[in-house]
Amino acid sequence: MRKIWLIIKREYLTRVKTKAFVISTLIVPVLGIGFVLLIAFLVSHAPQQNLRLVIVDKAGGLAAPVKQNLEAALAGGKREFTVADTVERPTAASDVERELRNRINRGALDAYLVIPAELAEPVELHTKNPGNFTLLEPLTLAVNKAVIGARLSARGIHVDDIDEISRGVDLEVIKVSQSGESVEKGQTLALAITLVVLLYMSLLMYGIITMRSVLEEKTTRTMEVLISSVRPLQLLTGKILGVAGAAFTQFFIWVISLGLFASYGAAMAALLNPTSSFPSLHVPLSLLVGVVCFFFGGYFMYSAMFAAIGSACSSEQDAHQLQWLAMTPLVFTMVIYSVVLNDPTSKAAVVLSEIPLFAPVLMPLRMSLQMPPVPQIILSLVLLLGAILGAIWASAKVYRVGVLMYGKRPTLPELLRWLRYS
Amino acid sequence: MLRPGVCSRREPRAGTQGETVDAIALENVTKSYDGVEAVSHISLRVRQGAILGLLGPNGAGKTSTIRMVMNILVPDEGSIRIFDRPISDDARQSIGYLPEERGLYPRMPVQSVIVFLAALRGMPEAEAERRAREWLDRFELGDWAEKKVQDLSKGMQQKVQFISAVLHKPPLVILDEPFSGLDPVNAATVKNIMLEMRDEGSTVVLSTHRMEQVEKMCDSICLIDKGRNVLDGDLRSIKQSYGKNTIEIEFTGSDSFLNHPAVASVNRLGLGAEAKLKAGADPQQVLRAAVESGALITRFELREPSLTDIFIEKTGHA
Repeated sequence: MRKIWLIIKREYLTRVKTKAFVISTLIVPVLGIGFVLLIAFLVSHAPQQNLRLVIVDKAGGLAAPVKQNLEAALAGGKREFTVADTVERPTAASDVERELRNRINRGALDAYLVIPAELAEPVELHTKNPGNFTLLEPLTLAVNKAVIGARLSARGIHVDDIDEISRGVDLEVIKVSQSGESVEKGQTLALAITLVVLLYMSLLMYGIITMRSVLEEKTTRTMEVLISSVRPLQLLTGKILGVAGAAFTQFFIWVISLGLFASYGAAMAALLNPTSSFPSLHVPLSLLVGVVCFFFGGYFMYSAMFAAIGSACSSEQDAHQLQWLAMTPLVFTMVIYSVVLNDPTSKAAVVLSEIPLFAPVLMPLRMSLQMPPVPQIILSLVLLLGAILGAIWASAKVYRVGVLMYGKRPTLPELLRWLRYS
Repeated sequence: MLRPGVCSRREPRAGTQGETVDAIALENVTKSYDGVEAVSHISLRVRQGAILGLLGPNGAGKTSTIRMVMNILVPDEGSIRIFDRPISDDARQSIGYLPEERGLYPRMPVQSVIVFLAALRGMPEAEAERRAREWLDRFELGDWAEKKVQDLSKGMQQKVQFISAVLHKPPLVILDEPFSGLDPVNAATVKNIMLEMRDEGSTVVLSTHRMEQVEKMCDSICLIDKGRNVLDGDLRSIKQSYGKNTIEIEFTGSDSFLNHPAVASVNRLGLGAEAKLKAGADPQQVLRAAVESGALITRFELREPSLTDIFIEKTGHA
């Protein structure tokens, strides 16, 4: 035990003490917060869109209401459109349009809207900047409202009633769970996707770090000295735990700083705008515990696999060519997670989340969407534990043979043969 | 031959009748790689408190033998015992090991590496730190203790590696090529440390090509060629068994006298030659022939064969 502890300590300290570790630990939250602030700044200080346009109304009678609707459309309390002119039933439409195009090219105008004589044909927006589709929705709305209004009044409905008749309803989604109900504004989906990406990235990243660490001992030939004083299994265990310690230290700092920032941000938002209903993200404790358990489990299983790959190779290049062995199941998880996302209770989702290779990502995903029955979670954890022991056992075998083997990169059949060595 | 105090280091086990056990005992050890025998039926005993030189041409099987003793490789056949016990993790704890392929964590500070490796071998960290400083000072590396290993020169790293092999005062030290990359001053320091360790009762096994170092310090040798033990035993008695059959002569002028019928083989040197005599030949005849040939003789010495001579004779190549 003392030896494992020494290895953990060395692995942890040499990692945590590096400049790269300190910098990345500090810089990620700083960059993350900076990025969020930058976006917030850009959104609130975005240059005011004010589209100058001319309405060419071939049908007649629509230009005025469209103009009225457009000029009433507000974004952030400011007008989005300025109707420079309206042309009703032009006699020489093509001349008018040519003239308007000239004005656009001169920069005197941004766009012109053509309402066709027959409304079965589409309304045309001629603009220099068709990429700006944030303006399309209010524009369509304004024209539709005018057209519907015209049709309704043609059928004898009073103008004042039209607004009331045409008003739609809002749809509110409410999530039902054991802990009650909460208004859904996409936060469940956001949480689920964040979880999947976070778990996938960190399993992959720390797995590769473990692999590199084994490889370093091999390429620097430190291995022979180490192996003469410790057992391969001790070395492997110590290494995995040491890297895990460093990883969790970093993770902890990130989560704490981002958590602090998020709650500060939410408090500020609530203070500045008390009416805004900031979607409340309720993370139950059971989910948190589940994520931590499955992440630990997944990390131990995958890093044992990555460590075995590192021990089998003699160079970073060789390792890159073999690491698909451990990466494939992870990447596959990213391909199939939508099965779980779409229907977390389907048979496929239940089975997939019980398979140890996928469980570290898929089970927390299921838990975030809809808490699965406890026996399923326990079964998944038990299977994962079995897989961890199996992976560490097999890795220690490959490790024992691999760490002192230099030269040609082993093939998969050779690796499997190593498992049979005593 | 045994020094007092040597026996007390390891209690002799029952049945050995008060004799000390061998530090290392190899019995018929064989190891093949892909059908090629790297080590073939080697038997060897290293008694406690001795310095054994493991000699042999490149690829003879020295490193394979050492790795099997360290339990890094497992022999295909035969048995290895350390202090009369089968190899185990405990047994390995008592060995200080300098591998052929040097390796230290490049990005760790020198002293931390030494302390880490000593702690892995069971030494308390505080003591390891104190000793690491002493040893670093002795090798004039005191100012480098906090520097990273990768900032050191090859020779300095070699010294650090040597320190980490002997720091925990192992009763048995196995050094694969300890002198490679060391300048004469440091080689002498390493040699003196080995002699000190022997005087304190430790057993030292070293493999090397440096015959002059072996002659200066080894009590016994084992000569391996093509995986076989071709010669082993006490260095002095081996040399004596060859008798004084070698002439070392320094001269200026004609070397025609070296063709004398009593001379078996000649090795030309910068200032003269080394001549091996035929069995039973009279060295005086060669001296007489040299004087008569008119060469100016500045030195003439009759001696036992050097280890190099024995090495070449036994292996057939240098």
